[in-house]
Amino acid sequence: MSLKEEMAEKAQFYPGETDIAENRRNYMNPNYELEKLREIADEDVVRLMGHREPGEEYPSVHPPLEEMEEPECPIRELVEPTDGAKQGDRIRYIQFTDSVYFAPIHPYIRARMYMWRYRGVDTGTLSGRQIIEVRERDLEKIAKELLETEIFDPARTGVRGATVHGHSLRLDENGLMFDALRRYRLNEEKGVVEYVKDQVGIELDEPIEVGAPADEEDLKERTTIYRIDGVPFREDEELLQVIQRIHELRTLAGYNPKEAEGK
Amino acid sequence: MSAEEKLFMKALKEKFEEDPEEKYTKFYVYGGWKQSERKKEFKKWADKIVEEKRGGLPHYNPDIGVPLGQRKLMPYQVSGTDVFVEGDDLHFVNNAAMQQMWDDIRRTVIVGMDTAHRVLERRLGKEVTPETINEYMETLNHALPGGAVVQEHMVEIHPGLTWDCYAKIVTGDLELADEIDDKFLIDIEKLFPEEQAEQLIKAIGNKTYQVLRMPTIVGHVCDGATMYRWAAMQIAMSFICAYKIAAGEAAVSDFAFASKHAEVINMAEMLPARRARGENEPGGVPFGILADCVQTMRKYPDDPAKVALEVIGAGAMLYDQIWLGSYMSGGVGFTQYATAVYTDNILDDYVYYGLDYVEDKYGLAEAEPDMDVVKDVATEVTLYGLEQYERYPAAMETHFGGSQRAAVCAAAAGCSVAFATGHAQAGVNGWYLSQILHKEAHGRLGFYGYDLQDQCGAANSLSVRSDEGLPLELRGPNYPNYAMNVGHLGEYAGIVQAAHAARGDAFCVHPVIKVAFADDMLVFDFTEPRKEFAKGALREFEPAGERDIIIPAE
Repeated sequence: MSLKEEMAEKAQFYPGETDIAENRRNYMNPNYELEKLREIADEDVVRLMGHREPGEEYPSVHPPLEEMEEPECPIRELVEPTDGAKQGDRIRYIQFTDSVYFAPIHPYIRARMYMWRYRGVDTGTLSGRQIIEVRERDLEKIAKELLETEIFDPARTGVRGATVHGHSLRLDENGLMFDALRRYRLNEEKGVVEYVKDQVGIELDEPIEVGAPADEEDLKERTTIYRIDGVPFREDEELLQVIQRIHELRTLAGYNPKEAEGK
Repeated sequence: MSAEEKLFMKALKEKFEEDPEEKYTKFYVYGGWKQSERKKEFKKWADKIVEEKRGGLPHYNPDIGVPLGQRKLMPYQVSGTDVFVEGDDLHFVNNAAMQQMWDDIRRTVIVGMDTAHRVLERRLGKEVTPETINEYMETLNHALPGGAVVQEHMVEIHPGLTWDCYAKIVTGDLELADEIDDKFLIDIEKLFPEEQAEQLIKAIGNKTYQVLRMPTIVGHVCDGATMYRWAAMQIAMSFICAYKIAAGEAAVSDFAFASKHAEVINMAEMLPARRARGENEPGGVPFGILADCVQTMRKYPDDPAKVALEVIGAGAMLYDQIWLGSYMSGGVGFTQYATAVYTDNILDDYVYYGLDYVEDKYGLAEAEPDMDVVKDVATEVTLYGLEQYERYPAAMETHFGGSQRAAVCAAAAGCSVAFATGHAQAGVNGWYLSQILHKEAHGRLGFYGYDLQDQCGAANSLSVRSDEGLPLELRGPNYPNYAMNVGHLGEYAGIVQAAHAARGDAFCVHPVIKVAFADDMLVFDFTEPRKEFAKGALREFEPAGERDIIIPAE
């Protein structure tokens, strides 16, 4: 083992002794392969986001980096640009709403997962929505993974650029999360959810199928939310202790750093 | 506690058709905005206005924008009352009681009388007696609402427009109080329970203050900083008149100096240039001062939860709806955040749970304000709050925004720590622990701007050093991290009040302000702000500052 490897910090990702904590660790850990559950065509990912037409050239905001005369800069030498950055792509986004009713992933876990797994991303976290902004061609790759794998559920996860409310509302009779713009619906014949509008609510020419909703037990196994009807937060004593410790150290260090010594 | 005993159960059953524990419902079937009587009324008015007053220029149209009412447009129970209202009725523009609460704070200025009396006696050789003070007060009650006292040819203000304007006296000098005409005195011994009256009289001592209430209508046209200037001008005129002083004499400037600087107590501090407002605007009202304006403690001294909850309701309305929601932002969004803490008895349930927990385990204000107590109480109350949202989907839907839930859980946790310790700093530290617990439990908290302060707040919660912190009582909306952040400020005021209510304190920061707002001539009843808001929502509240008498009758 090299000295560098020996000295490298071993990422723990997240504390906790429950399945919920384990799911959080897995989703954050870039060495954990997210399980692919559905296939969504590249073109459909593009249509769902609505930033450009499938097949259309990527609009750019600057010339390709290799055509630009960039100043000498050690940071530029150290950091390999992403494909989108190299090509001068626009920065665009995909935004998700995750239901409190056992959606597979939730906003702050998304944020941490994105920061662990993806390069060149800017992410923002709110209670009812979670956005990731990336150079456009990089975004399309990331979005595909976010839609096709176990962290997405057609009924409990929504792709929503605007009018996002729904994460905390009761579910409709089909078990779908509320969406005031009704971007998706359950195709009862096929048993799958299909989007009829893109993420900002513009109608699509053709519906986009995103697969069948998972059953409740499956969702409970995949989810990252602590709930009294799933894994109660109260039961994860290790996580509670870690949070309390963080709080105590922040408080003491802010008041007087000496107070936090040895704690 | 059984489900039926939950304080929020009545509201949840009224708001939704389904059982509050039911996880599934129907959407898109309620008729959109037409399910709301209030929105139908708005539409009718808008159509009329467009035709009659706007020459066809569009106005309100609920069919524009996001489709309103795809889900149940739920009513709200004003907490602590049996009144159900529509959400629209709790926007301050639609609620005269809310406006008046702020009017009554903004138009209040307190000026000490002792400097002026010393000038009168020592420099001008005048005698100051209870009789002369009564005469002065009579003069002031003529001048303050807009009566002339010195010049013989002077415009004056219609008394019907300024009926709410007056001046009274507060003193801890009981001998003087006995001799002041009752109508001019805010009588501490009559208005407060004996134990609280003793504290207030001791704190105020032998000093004498005049409490001045400028006309509401002046606040509507001018601003908060007008108030102490208006007061100072009329005080100086009244001294000149009542004590027969030469109007141009240099000594008169001492009255002005005392009234504008040396002896004036404004309800709010001036704000810095980037939030430029003068004195007596909401952004400058410290939490402890707001808590002192609210009078629940003297009416319900044995119910510290209610005392804190009324302050939270008042604070959410003033700081979130009026200050952040309008002065600093504009529009309609902030009401939705603010109402979460004073509707549907959800916060009430959590706060009473916390009160019971600490009473059983520690006793009121009997625990040391140490980290073990903060961790124990804040964790337990936060977990209880989160579990209610999880057990009752109707409660989760009622507080459909994460910021609402974060504010409610953290307020309950903070108040409970304050109940246990009698210490507001410990209370606010409990608030911050609650926030990060909540964030990790649900994997979400508020919006970007909401929870930024909660993720770093612990570090400054115990600091009182310049530029780093202050005792919570003296922090306010202009405190660095708190400056643009809905769903916190009223709750912080409630934590201050919770600590002092648990200790049995008659006031939090300022005894004279506490007494000034006990006066029953105020238009808004500060003993129960939430009840007043409900009256406003029902359109039963009669405000001041109306101008019907100078406009054509409709």
